[in-house]
Amino acid sequence: MTDTLSRGPGDSPGLGLEADIAPDIDEPKRSSSWARYTLVKAGGAAISMVMVILLGFFAFRIIPGDPVRLLTDGRQVSPEQLDIIRDTYGLNDPLIVQFFTYLTDMLKGDLGQSFVYNQPVTELIGERIGPTLLLSGTAALLSIVVGLWIGQRAAWKRGSFFDKANTGIALILWSVPTFWLGMLVLMTFAGSLKLFPTGGMMTVASDAQGFDLFLDIAHHMVLPVLTMAAVVYAHYLMVMRASLLEEMSGDYLTTARAKGLREDLVRRRHAVPNALLPTVTLIFMALGGIISGAVTVETIFSWPGLGYLTFQSLSQQDYPVLQGTFVVFSAIVIVMNFFADLLYRVLDPRLRK
Amino acid sequence: MSYPKSLKRLTALGVAAGVFLFSATAATAATAVVTPSAAQAKTSSADKTFKVALLNDVDTLNPFTNVLAAGANALALSYEPLVENGQKSNELTGAIADSWEVNEDGTVWTFKLGTDRKWSDGKPLTSDDVVYTFDLIMKNPDLQKSKGALVEGLSSVEAPDAETVKITLSEPQAANPGVQIPIVPKHVWEKIDDKAAFANDKDAVSSGPYTIETYGKSSGITMATNPNYWRGAAKIDKIVFVPYKSTDAAIQALRTGEVDFVPDMTSAQFGSLENEPNVETYSGKNRRYQAVAINPGAKDKNDQPMGDGNPVLQDLVVRQAIVRAIDKSTLLDKVLGGHGTLAAGEIPSVYPDFYWKPTDSELTLSFDPAAANKMLDDAGYAKGADGIRVDKTGKPIKLRLMGRSESAAHASMAEFIKPWLKDIGIDVTVETKASGQVNEESEQGKYDMYFTGWGIEPDPDFQLSINTCASRPNADGSAGLNESNWCDPEFDKLYAAQHVELDPEKRSELVKEADKFKYTQAVNNVIWYYDSLEAYRSDRFGGFEKQPDGVGPIYGQNGPWGFYSVTPVSELEGANSESTSQNSGSSLPIGLGVGIGAVVLIGAVVAVIMRRRSSSDDRA
Repeated sequence: MTDTLSRGPGDSPGLGLEADIAPDIDEPKRSSSWARYTLVKAGGAAISMVMVILLGFFAFRIIPGDPVRLLTDGRQVSPEQLDIIRDTYGLNDPLIVQFFTYLTDMLKGDLGQSFVYNQPVTELIGERIGPTLLLSGTAALLSIVVGLWIGQRAAWKRGSFFDKANTGIALILWSVPTFWLGMLVLMTFAGSLKLFPTGGMMTVASDAQGFDLFLDIAHHMVLPVLTMAAVVYAHYLMVMRASLLEEMSGDYLTTARAKGLREDLVRRRHAVPNALLPTVTLIFMALGGIISGAVTVETIFSWPGLGYLTFQSLSQQDYPVLQGTFVVFSAIVIVMNFFADLLYRVLDPRLRK
Repeated sequence: MSYPKSLKRLTALGVAAGVFLFSATAATAATAVVTPSAAQAKTSSADKTFKVALLNDVDTLNPFTNVLAAGANALALSYEPLVENGQKSNELTGAIADSWEVNEDGTVWTFKLGTDRKWSDGKPLTSDDVVYTFDLIMKNPDLQKSKGALVEGLSSVEAPDAETVKITLSEPQAANPGVQIPIVPKHVWEKIDDKAAFANDKDAVSSGPYTIETYGKSSGITMATNPNYWRGAAKIDKIVFVPYKSTDAAIQALRTGEVDFVPDMTSAQFGSLENEPNVETYSGKNRRYQAVAINPGAKDKNDQPMGDGNPVLQDLVVRQAIVRAIDKSTLLDKVLGGHGTLAAGEIPSVYPDFYWKPTDSELTLSFDPAAANKMLDDAGYAKGADGIRVDKTGKPIKLRLMGRSESAAHASMAEFIKPWLKDIGIDVTVETKASGQVNEESEQGKYDMYFTGWGIEPDPDFQLSINTCASRPNADGSAGLNESNWCDPEFDKLYAAQHVELDPEKRSELVKEADKFKYTQAVNNVIWYYDSLEAYRSDRFGGFEKQPDGVGPIYGQNGPWGFYSVTPVSELEGANSESTSQNSGSSLPIGLGVGIGAVVLIGAVVAVIMRRRSSSDDRA
C-alpha cells in the first residue's frame, strides 16, 4: 500500500501548509498564556464590533433616495403629511442627533422602530431569526458532514472514479447559480412530481401540533436545505481533500501502518484528525456567513426568514431594519471568528504550551 | 500520534446529527406525500377555502398605518368606507352610506347610512362609528400615515342622528370625501391604548364581506366570511393569503393546487400557464400607466430653473418630435407581449367617466418618424456629419434616458427607444439607477428623459393636482410632488374648474380636457396601461366579477367585488358535475419517498455496524 504515499502530479498543496509554515504576525506568541491569547482575540473582536456599529449607521444613509418618498410611492400624499412622517421617524433631525439616538438606543439593546412595519426592529429580527437559523443551520450541518466525508474519501483514493465523479459533481453544483438550481429543484420535485410543498415553512391554515407540526416543518425544509447544501458543500469537500492530501505523505502514517492497523483506521484515526485542523477555521467562518447567504434560497422557497427581510428593507430604505440586520449579521460573523480562533488553539496541541 | 478526544466526539456528533436530520426529512417526505390526496378526500369545507398567493410583504393590517399593497388588498375586503367604487364601471355607489347629497357650493356633504348595516360581531353600525373613525385620523398624527391626505380639507365630521353623517369641508370640492376612509368599530378601537401600534391581526371586527381571523409571518392571512355583510354573506367560508416570495414558486403552487389564485404575473409566466389543465389565465385591464417623462425645463415654486435637463427640450417641437419617433405599439407587443392597452392620456380606460378616448384626429403625436424629422428640420435643427442634429448653440443633441435597475421592462424599452431616436438625429445614453435615486433625481429635475408610471385612483383630482404650478418643489427639491416638473396656467385653470364642479358630466369633460392638454405638451409620453395578469384553478372556483365589468382585474380592485363574488365550482350555475379527481401520479411519489427512506435507513444501519466493528478492532 505504499502507493498512497507518493504524491500525484495534480495534487498541489492546499491552504493548510502555508498557514503552518508562515507564522501570522497578528498571532500572539505561541508561548503566551491562554488568558492573554483570549484577551487579545476578544479585544480584536470588540474593535470590529464597534466599527460595525459605526458603519451600520452611515453606510445605509449614503444610498441616495428618501425613505419616506419610497414609503408613500404612488399614493395620495401632501408635502405636509410627508413632513409629519419624517418627523415621527426623526428624519428631520440633524444627522449627528440621529446618530446619537442610534448609539444610545443601541446601548440599551433597542434597534429602533421600522419605518415600513411599524414594529420594533428587535421584534422583527426576533421572529425571523429562528426560521433562518433552522434552515441555514441544517443546510450547513449537512454540507459540512457530506463535504468533509466525501472530501477525505476522495483524497484517500485520489484519481479513482469516486474521486473524479464526486469532485466533478461538487464543482458543477458549486458553479451553478443558486437561483437557477433552486427553481429547477422546485419545478421538478414540487411542481411536477408533487413530492414536496412549493414554499413556506408550514402548511397554512392547518392546526398541526407537536410531532405533526415537526413533520410538517421538516417536509417543507427538504428542498431548501438540499438546494443550499448542494451549492456550498463543494467548498468543504475541496478543502478537506486538499488538506488530507497534505497529510498523506506524513511519516506517522507509515508508522501507523507498520503497527498493522487497517488502511481504513489509518485514514480515520490518524490522517483525518490532522487534516481537519485547517478546515475548522473555515467551517466557523462559513457558519457566520451562511446566515446572510440564505437570501436567495429564502426567496425561492418563500422561507419566512431574515434574508428576505433585509432584501425588502433595502428596496424600501428602511434604515432601522437595515442597521439592525447589518449589526446582527456582523455580530454573528465576529463571534464565530472568535470561536474559530479559540477552538483552533484547543484542537492544535502545537499552539498550546 | 495522539489527537484530542473532543474532536472525535465532535465528528461523531456531527455525523449522527446529519444522519438524523436527513432521515427525518426523507421520512417525512415519504409520509407527507400521502397528505395531498388525504386533504382532497376531506369534506366540502376544504372546497370552500379560497387560497390566494400573497406575493408581497404585509407591513401591517392596521388600517391607519398600512401602506403596502399586500395588506391594503386584504383591508379592502374587510373595512367598508361610506361610499365605494362600483363593480360595473368604478362609478360611486353606497357602502356604509345608502345615499348622499352635497350642498350647492360643495362644502357640506350629508350621508344617509343604511339601516341594516351591522358589524361582524352583530353590533349595529351607526354614525357614531363613522364620526369616531374620522376623528381618530384627523386628531392623531400617528394615525395619518395611511389616509392623512384624505382628511386634510375636512373641517368637521358630525352625526346629527344615528343614521346621518355630515362632513363639512374648509373649501369646496367635487371629489366625494366619503370614499377610501375605512370605518372601524368604535366599541373595539376605543379599548385600544396605543392605536398606531395595534397589529389588528386576530379576530378583527369589521363590516366588509370578510374579516381578518389570523395573520402570521409564515402562515399568511386567514379571513373568515362575515355572515352580517349587508350585501349577503360570500359563497365561500374562508380566504387564505398564502405567502410566496417569488411569483415563479407561486405558479408551481397553482399547478399543484396548493393555491387557487395567483395575481401579478409577467407575460412569460402568464404564457407558461396557458396550456395547464384546470388552470384558467385571465388578462384584465388595469389602472397603471407606463410613460417616458421628458424634462421641459424643471422649475421650482418660485419659477426658478432647477436640475440639469438639456435646454433643447424646452422647445415644444423637440419634445413632440421625440414622442412621434417612439412606436408605442411595437413596444407594447415586444416588451409586454401585448398585455396592455395603448395610451395617450394618463387616466386609464378602466375609469370610463374620466377616460379621454382620443379620436384619430386628436392623436396629433402619433408614431411617424418622417414627420418628426421634418418638424426638427423645419425648426432649424440641422443634422451633423454623424447624423446627429445640433442645437441652436451648435452642440450635438445628446440626451440621457434614466430607468430603474429593478425593472427589466425599462431596460428592454430603452433598447428600442435608443435607435428610434437616433433615426431622428438624437443621441441617447441609457442610465439605470436604483429606485430611490430615480425618485430623487427626477424630483430635482436632474434628467432629460426617464421611465415613470402611476397607478391612478378612481377620482382623478389628486393626479391632476400634482401637475399644477402650486405642487412644484422648493429650490432644493423638497416638499414637491410634481409629476412631470411641468406646469401651465391653462392646465391650472382646468384643474381648478373640475375641482369644484359638482355636475358629474361637466366635471368629466373638464378632466378629459386637462388630460388631453397635457398630452399635447409632450412632457409625459404615456405608452400603455398595464394589464393585470392573473390565473386561477378553474376546477375549484369561478364566478369572479371583474371591475369594470367584464374587462377589469379580479385582484386589487377599488372595492371587494372580485373576491366577494368567488364561487366554488360545485355551486356555479350550469355546473355539470365533472369533479376532477387529482390522484394521478400519487403512486410514483409514494414509491419515491419510500425509496429515499429505505436508502437512508440502510445507510444508517451500515454506518452503525461499521462503527461497532472498528471500535472492537481498535480494542484488539
